[in-house]
Amino acid sequence: MVNTFGLTLENICFEIGSFQFKNLCMNINPKEYFVLTGPNGTGKTLIIKIICGIYQPSSGKIVLNGREIQDIPIWERNIGYVPQNAVLFASRTVSANIEFGLEVRKIERSKRKEKVQEIAGLLNISHLLERKPNGLSGGEQQKVALARALVLKPSALLLDEPLSAIDESTRDELCKELRSIQQKLSITTLHISHNKEEMRMVGDRIGSLQNGNIIEMKSNDRTTNDGKFNMTYQKTQN
Amino acid sequence: MIDNKKIKYKSPFYLILSLPLIIYVVIVLSLIYCVFSRINYDALTIVLNDSALLASIRLSLITSFISTALAILVALPSGYILSRKKLPGHDFIDTILDLPIVLPPLIIGLSVLIFFNTAIGRWLDRGIWNEGLFIYQPLGIVLVQFIIGCAITIRVTKSGFDSLDESFEQLAMTLGANRFQTFFKVVLPGITPTLIAATVITWARIFGLFGPVLLIAGTMRNHTEIMPTSIFLEISIGRIEVALVLGALMILISTIALVLFKKLGGRGFLW
Repeated sequence: MVNTFGLTLENICFEIGSFQFKNLCMNINPKEYFVLTGPNGTGKTLIIKIICGIYQPSSGKIVLNGREIQDIPIWERNIGYVPQNAVLFASRTVSANIEFGLEVRKIERSKRKEKVQEIAGLLNISHLLERKPNGLSGGEQQKVALARALVLKPSALLLDEPLSAIDESTRDELCKELRSIQQKLSITTLHISHNKEEMRMVGDRIGSLQNGNIIEMKSNDRTTNDGKFNMTYQKTQN
Repeated sequence: MIDNKKIKYKSPFYLILSLPLIIYVVIVLSLIYCVFSRINYDALTIVLNDSALLASIRLSLITSFISTALAILVALPSGYILSRKKLPGHDFIDTILDLPIVLPPLIIGLSVLIFFNTAIGRWLDRGIWNEGLFIYQPLGIVLVQFIIGCAITIRVTKSGFDSLDESFEQLAMTLGANRFQTFFKVVLPGITPTLIAATVITWARIFGLFGPVLLIAGTMRNHTEIMPTSIFLEISIGRIEVALVLGALMILISTIALVLFKKLGGRGFLW
């Protein structure tokens, strides 16, 4: 049964080259932080790109907060997407990068500036606003990419290994920030990661993509803070 | 930060590799020197006081700028489509695009001349206006310059689109930009250096075009005469000094264009 709230993939079929998804199902509850893991080449990034609208499934439904979005153009879905390598627009300043989505929505300049200041404050990047992306560290670039996605108040946030190219101490700090911002904004989030510590720190629930199916794990017990990966598999579908 | 390119290498390896480059630069500089060293004040006065020659300089600049602008207008969508989509007959189109680059310009000029001798060509040339639109007209200069220049512009802009990762466009669309907004706000700024390079290469190619212009537009003073045809005319009547002044002016104009290009930050295809 389709959950009409949160983010649901129902019987998604998709084929690219020799790779295919056959009747892929997934459900993320509203305001939940769901982490998706799995071996390389299993199609985790493809799932994010299908939800965003970059790829179109041949059949199946994508339901976001009760609305079917699979046939809606990519620019009308209002889904925040942060790819693995920030993908910042080099010719724009950090401020203009964050402003981009507001600009194309033709939001008044003063309101844009206000919203940029607000999100930059939340992510502690106000001091970077006038800089160009080229001189920023990996962590700073990811924060800018996150701010650019969040400033639009998206219905869901999709993070594709956003911390994979970042050193361990910065990653831990960013994990905490990600978690706290997600809670503050109450945003349904899908985060792809290979790092067990990262999954433990951010995820409410963790799923593993194997052979084209998502095998759900037990809910993350964040109360144990011994650094161990405190989860057990709970197979929900084949 | 240490810039490896600026480290002064005294190794024989780098000195030997630099030698051919130095020889070539010396050859080019010698040729430029030969032109400038023969310029005399009288010839310069003749050029500056000859209204026909001044008109040819003006027409050269106007036609070359118009045809470069037209080439860019055609090359931007064409280069983008060729870069992003596999069209039906893609390889055929790709080969056709190379033809104006590899064919001698004179052959293209001749083909244009023959085309205007067909029924469609005659209608296009004289059907709208009795005097003719292209043959022995300034518009004919723009036409041949455009045909020869546009293929290069498409090639260079396509290389710019090829080097721009498609993920920038995808990301812009997830942020709410439709395809047109993405093209103008993300794709074009992303290929600006290549676009400047394309403009300069195209303009440089067509500014000195001679043979096909002579065939289509002739050398009518104060009407279709441009700088290369003026140089040809001046040499043919024995006024070598005047031709040299015009040549030096062409070198100066081209140098200014290149310097401006570098100031604008153009990099990419050739630079």
